[in-house]
Amino acid sequence: MIKAAKDILSKIPSSVSYADVRIVEQESEDIATKDGVVEALESGSSTGYNVRVLQSGVWGFAASHDMSETGVDATIKKAMTIALASAKYKMEDVQLDDQKPIKDSYKTPIAEDPFTVPMEEKMKLLLAADKAQRVSSKIAVSQASYQANKEHKYFVSTLGSEIDQEIIWTGAGIETTAVDGQDLQNRSYPNSFRGQNQTRGYELVRGLDLVGHAPEIAEQAVELLSADTCPTGEFDIILDGNQLALQIHESCGHAVELDRVLGYEASYAGTSFLTPEKLYDFQYGSDIVNLTADATIPGGLGTFGYDDEGTPAQRTYLVKKGMFQDYITSRDTVRELKKANPNYKNSRSNGTVRASSWSRLPMIRMTNINLEPGGEEGTGKAWSLKELIGDTKYGIFMSTNRSWSIDDKRYNFQFGTEIAWEIKDGKLGRMLKNPTYQGITPAFWNSCDAICGRDEWIVWGTPNCGKGQPSQVMYTGHGASPTRFKKVKVGVVKW
Amino acid sequence: MLGQTKLKQIADTVLKLSQADQTEVLLSVSEDALTRFANNHIHQNMAWDTIGISVRVIYGKKIGVASTNAFDKQSLADVVEQASILAKFQEDDPEFQSLPGPKDIPQVDEHVFKANPEEMATSAYMVIKQAQEKGLIASGAYANDVSEFAVANSLGVWAYHTGSSCNLSTIVLGKNSSGFAADVARKPSEVDAQTVGHVAVQKTWESKNPERIDPGEYEVILEPQAVSEMMAFFQWYGPNARIYHENASPLSGQMGKQVFGKNITLIDDPFHPKVFPMPFDFEGQPKRKIVFVENGILKNIAYDSYYAKKYGAPNTGHALPAPNTMGPIPLHFYIAPGDKTREEMIANVKRGLLVTRLWYVRVLNAKALNVTGMTRDGTFLIENGKIVKPVMNLRFNQSIPEALNNVIAIENKLTQLASFEGEMISLAPTLHIGKWEFSSGTLF
Repeated sequence: MIKAAKDILSKIPSSVSYADVRIVEQESEDIATKDGVVEALESGSSTGYNVRVLQSGVWGFAASHDMSETGVDATIKKAMTIALASAKYKMEDVQLDDQKPIKDSYKTPIAEDPFTVPMEEKMKLLLAADKAQRVSSKIAVSQASYQANKEHKYFVSTLGSEIDQEIIWTGAGIETTAVDGQDLQNRSYPNSFRGQNQTRGYELVRGLDLVGHAPEIAEQAVELLSADTCPTGEFDIILDGNQLALQIHESCGHAVELDRVLGYEASYAGTSFLTPEKLYDFQYGSDIVNLTADATIPGGLGTFGYDDEGTPAQRTYLVKKGMFQDYITSRDTVRELKKANPNYKNSRSNGTVRASSWSRLPMIRMTNINLEPGGEEGTGKAWSLKELIGDTKYGIFMSTNRSWSIDDKRYNFQFGTEIAWEIKDGKLGRMLKNPTYQGITPAFWNSCDAICGRDEWIVWGTPNCGKGQPSQVMYTGHGASPTRFKKVKVGVVKW
Repeated sequence: MLGQTKLKQIADTVLKLSQADQTEVLLSVSEDALTRFANNHIHQNMAWDTIGISVRVIYGKKIGVASTNAFDKQSLADVVEQASILAKFQEDDPEFQSLPGPKDIPQVDEHVFKANPEEMATSAYMVIKQAQEKGLIASGAYANDVSEFAVANSLGVWAYHTGSSCNLSTIVLGKNSSGFAADVARKPSEVDAQTVGHVAVQKTWESKNPERIDPGEYEVILEPQAVSEMMAFFQWYGPNARIYHENASPLSGQMGKQVFGKNITLIDDPFHPKVFPMPFDFEGQPKRKIVFVENGILKNIAYDSYYAKKYGAPNTGHALPAPNTMGPIPLHFYIAPGDKTREEMIANVKRGLLVTRLWYVRVLNAKALNVTGMTRDGTFLIENGKIVKPVMNLRFNQSIPEALNNVIAIENKLTQLASFEGEMISLAPTLHIGKWEFSSGTLF
């Protein structure tokens, strides 16, 4: 396929200052059970390519499934025509960073290809996990799900890069709904919204033990129906890793997307409070807060070899010892950032550009955006969750996301979790339902005073990150361990 | 575009290839283009052509679905085989009875209109120019979608529809304010870029230097875009047969009862003259106008063939593509207009907020259907019937059923709004709601 991509590239007029071609083959497999029945059993495949040209200082992009000679000619012509239409109203020429050509291959390291595991075996596992949730007549819905995706990407550019990659990611989880009168409570394992997802093979699913965890999760859903409502007030909170992952995603990951910062997403997803003059001069969090973008973590859902501009996967500090350090960037935004803040130290993209399919324009996306665990350089003590609870006089321990919302500059957020427990005098006490908390991003991260260590640090997958027009759903990862925040507004919804 | 004859040939080929007891084929073809602008220039400009086929096969009560994006003979054979392999691995779905049979499909206007890159860029520039003249920054997108969709099944269903849409939207940014406007139309020539630019610039201008306001309970005037954003989750969680019968909807068990104020009538009408018509659902079953709530009383909920048979109700033509784990959902849903003008409604507010848009609305509890979200792109304080000043954005936590029980007045007209990515139109009036709970503020 690299040859096919090079053939397409060779047809692009030499008048362009830059061009790249991506051929993408995608395969997917989904199983979803509900109430003991396999409700969805689906496999999908999609193949196509796109042409991105930089002509007269502006981008043109066209994509098609039609790889015939006439199809390719028409697609190239479309990309060129589009660029010329844009050029008529341009303000400045797009400027790319300097990169060297790369010829390489990358393949997600997996132990067991999920697509080769017999379908029957996967269904049996999910049906058993579904059945094991039926612990009470109050269980209204039991569900289990599994998904696997394989992407083969072939990238060539006029720089001379030739990169082929095979990315595989797998996920699975269970969700129980308990209903009593007007009350409805959910519990999920190992995370809500389709469980845990990683760039790993079927070994991830085997390791989750969905069947073994199902009864406990279902019992908690039933117990929540009669639990006390989470109290209202300003309390210390400990966020479980699976909830902290989404907190990082919304209040850090999106806020450091440079295209958003520069206004390129203003018409849809919004902008960011992390404006360029804040670089190196803004206390984003307390001095133990270290946030990284790291596309090299084994198993992270945002892990790959090269981004969709051919830039190598990297690890970048976004926040170091609480101080704002960097954005996630692309080849065409770095020079613009330098204009906005001449102190910006980097001259190249840090490799975060991806597209959700062959038909979509590659754009800045989160890779694995992580809160570095306690016990590492500048992150304070490596707490265990037990120690952290023991160190809390009064607080709330919250787990597993239920709702999330944040304003269009990423300041005001509000999250709800499926479950919480009260902490009194260093001990975990009564279960609490409908927990919510709200804050303003920098104040919240500056209240962070303890982070659990690497032993409890997990790279959680967020496979449903939406951005861009037309919308693109991207898979991202977030390394997180249980973490404590001081004096947070809790119980902010009247139930 | 491939045309009805070619798509019918492809569907017939697939149906012949299948050895299953029953087979369903969904075919889609689209040519899309999108011109996106920000910082007063076009920064993303793209076009993409796609085709898709999804095959659902049924052996007894075992169901498998496979999809691909190629129509050559080998790919068609492969996708049928893949669906059949999956079905054979399946467990029985005891509730499944049959795919639906053929029914007469209403005829609708099927003319399509394609925008060329130049006219899309020109429209974008018309918005940009107005923002530049006021020292403001325009961002937005012009989307043009031309598509064909067909459904066939082995019981004789054949349904084909083609349509097109144009959608221009903008957010204009000032130093400390923003404004939103959009227009949707079938034809590029009907997209009113001048008005889109004017309205967004005006809103940005009016909302500059917003002041902080305490959160709390306020009367609100929700403009049509905000109403549409509020009702989006109601469409999914309200009159949905799956959720209704799971006892997880706020409407569960309320059929025939007063669920909202007497001034609320909720309608799903895929043939309303202001929407892009869609004559059938994803099982090829005819759509029709349905009143879900009439004068506050729950009259109907949405069914597809599966849930209609399961619960012995008529199929209302609300199927989504198989496999559908969400349940049947109405896609042309609106609140029936009332008898007040927007100005009359504002004049009747003692102290409240005018909200242009909502943002990041998410469900807190599906059963109560309380949602959270933010205001965006123009929020204003109203005192004694007059808009007195712009205010900073606020977060709300609000039950939708409660809001629909506190509607004081409804605008006498419906505004067309783009839904999804502009391929569809939703309709909404401005609403005056007696109380709306704002829980916290933000910094802009």
